Amino acid sequence: MIWVTWRQHRTQAVVCLALFCAVAIAAVALGAWMRSTFSSDGLGACLARSGGADCTSVIDAFTQKFNGPVIPLGVILFALPGFLGAAVGAPLLGSELERGTWQLAWSQTVPRTRWLVTQLALVVGGLVVFGAAVTAVVTWARGPLDEVSMRAQTPLNFEGLYLTCSLLCAFALGVLAGLLLRNTIGGMVVAYIAWEAPSLVATLLSGPLHILTVTKTIACTNGCARASASSIPPVTGNLGDQVLSLTRTGNHLIVTYEPASRFWTLQLIDAGLFLAVAAAALGTAIWLLHRRTT
Amino acid sequence: MTLEASVPALRADRLGKQYGHVWGLRDCSFEVPAGSVVGLVGPNGAGKTTLLALTVGLLAPTEGQVAVFGEPSRAQTEGTLARVSYLAQDHPLYRNFTVGDMLRFGRSMNPRWDHALALGRMEALGIPLARKIKALSGGQQAQVALTLALAKRTPLLALDEPVASLDPVARLEFMQDVMAEVADKGLTVIIASHVIAELERLCDWLLVLTGGRLQLSGPLDGLLAGHAVLTVPRQTQDADLPGAVLSRTDSDRHSTVLVAADQAHVAAAWQPGWLSEPAGFEQLVLAYLRRPPVAAPAGRSMVGEGTAR
Repeated sequence: MIWVTWRQHRTQAVVCLALFCAVAIAAVALGAWMRSTFSSDGLGACLARSGGADCTSVIDAFTQKFNGPVIPLGVILFALPGFLGAAVGAPLLGSELERGTWQLAWSQTVPRTRWLVTQLALVVGGLVVFGAAVTAVVTWARGPLDEVSMRAQTPLNFEGLYLTCSLLCAFALGVLAGLLLRNTIGGMVVAYIAWEAPSLVATLLSGPLHILTVTKTIACTNGCARASASSIPPVTGNLGDQVLSLTRTGNHLIVTYEPASRFWTLQLIDAGLFLAVAAAALGTAIWLLHRRTT
Repeated sequence: MTLEASVPALRADRLGKQYGHVWGLRDCSFEVPAGSVVGLVGPNGAGKTTLLALTVGLLAPTEGQVAVFGEPSRAQTEGTLARVSYLAQDHPLYRNFTVGDMLRFGRSMNPRWDHALALGRMEALGIPLARKIKALSGGQQAQVALTLALAKRTPLLALDEPVASLDPVARLEFMQDVMAEVADKGLTVIIASHVIAELERLCDWLLVLTGGRLQLSGPLDGLLAGHAVLTVPRQTQDADLPGAVLSRTDSDRHSTVLVAADQAHVAAAWQPGWLSEPAGFEQLVLAYLRRPPVAAPAGRSMVGEGTAR
C-alpha cells in the first residue's frame, strides 16, 4: 500500500521538490542580500546599541529597500497552497472514479477505507514536510526584516503554521470535490474556489480585522508632540508592535495596537480554521466512500 | 476435499440491489457448484455487473445475500476481497504505470500474490515489464488485467465483459488463456457477456438475467436436455404442448415451438405428426432473453434445478 501510494504520487512529489528548490533559491538569495545589508548599513549595530530607539532612519531605509523585493515571493506563496493542494487532492479519488480504476484499486485485498486512509496519511505527511520546508526557508530569508517590522501581520508573509495548514485545507477540499464530481479537473477548480473562503477569512483575521488589539495609556517621557501612529520605533517601544490609532490627552497617549506577542495566537486561530475545514472535508470523504457501496 | 466440493462456489439467496428507486437486481437465487465455468448472459442493464459487484464485495446488497464458497460476501471486507478476483469491464489499469509497476501494485495489495505466476505470464505473452500500460495494445492490456486477477490466487474469478473491446483474434487468445488457467488451477469462473456464441464453447453453467431478474439458472447440458424444439400442426393449442411454451413461430401449416420440457414430458404429451429436436444453446438463451422480466419467478422455478441433475 505504501509503495502504491508512492507510485501514484511520485510525479506530484517531484513537482513539489522542484517548487521547493525554486522558492529556496529565491529565498536564500534574498535572505543573504538582506543579511549583508543588515550589517553593512549599520542596522544590526544600531539595534544592538539602542534597541531601535535611535534607528528611525536606518530602519526606514532598510524596510523601504526590502518591502519591494519580498512581494514576488509573497505573491507566489499566496496562490501556491490553493493551487498545489487542489492539484494534489482532486486526483486522489477523482482520477480513480473518472478512469474506472477504482474497480481495480478497491477489488484487491485492501478494503477501500483502509486504502483511502493510508493514501491520505502518506500524502498529508508529504505535504506537511513540503509546507514546513518552504516555511522554514521563507522565515529564514525574512529574518532581518521581521526584526524591524510588524510581526503580528506575518501570517500573511507565510511564516509559522499558515502555509502548511492552508495547503492541507486545499488538499482536503480537493479530495472531497474529486469524490463528489468524479472528475479531476472539475474537482481542482471547485476545490480552489472553495478554498478561497477559509483563505479569505484567515487573511482578514490575521490582517485588516485586527481582532486582537490592545489599548493602553502611555505617559510621554520626551514630549508627545512628535509621536504618531507611524513612528519608528512605535510609541509602545517594541519594534514588532503595530500601532493602529493614537490619541493625545495632556501628557499621555492612548494607544490601540496589535502587540507582536499576538503572532502565535493569530497563527493558531488561522491554523485552527484551516484544519477544521480540512478535517471536515476529509471526514466527509472517508464517510462517503465507506458508505458508497450503493 | 469432499466437503469443499459439496459447498457451492456461488450461492445467491433472494439477492437484491436497489439504486435509488430502481431495482438493479431483485429476488435472485441460484447455486453454482465449484469448478464451473458460468456464463452470465443478459442485455445491457440487466444487472450482470451488479451481480458481479455484489459477489466481489464492491457493492453491498439491499436485501438477501450472495455467498462465495459458503462465506457471505460483505462489501469491502478483507475476507470477501481475498476470495474473489475481479476483472472489471474495459479492464481498467493505471495508464501511466509500467507493466512492472502494475504487477508490483498487485503484489503490494494482495497477501497471497503469486509473483512468479505474474512474471511467467508476462514473459510467455511477450509483454515487456518496462513498457507503459498506455503503450500496450487492447489485447495486451486485457492480458495484464487478467494476470492481476489470476496472480491474486483466489478460487473464484469474476470477469465482466472481458473480451468486449477486443478484436476477434485477441478474443480467441484471451479466452483460450482463461480456460487454460481455469483448467490448470481448478478455478470457478463467472463470465458476464452478451456475446452468446462466445459462451457456448466455454460454459458448462448458465445464468440468464433480464431486467434485474434471473430468468434461468442451471448446468448447460441439463438445461438443453430440459428443453425441446417441437414442430407441430398449426392448430395445436399451447395447452396441449408439454411444459411451458417459451417461443412459438407459426408458418402456414406448422408451428415451431420451444418448450421447457424434458424428453419424458415430451413423450408423455406426444401426438402423431409432431417432430422433436433438441434445443440449441443460442435458441434457448434468446428465448429467455426475449421473455418479459416480470415472468421471471415462474420461469425460474419451473426450469431451474428440477431438470438440472
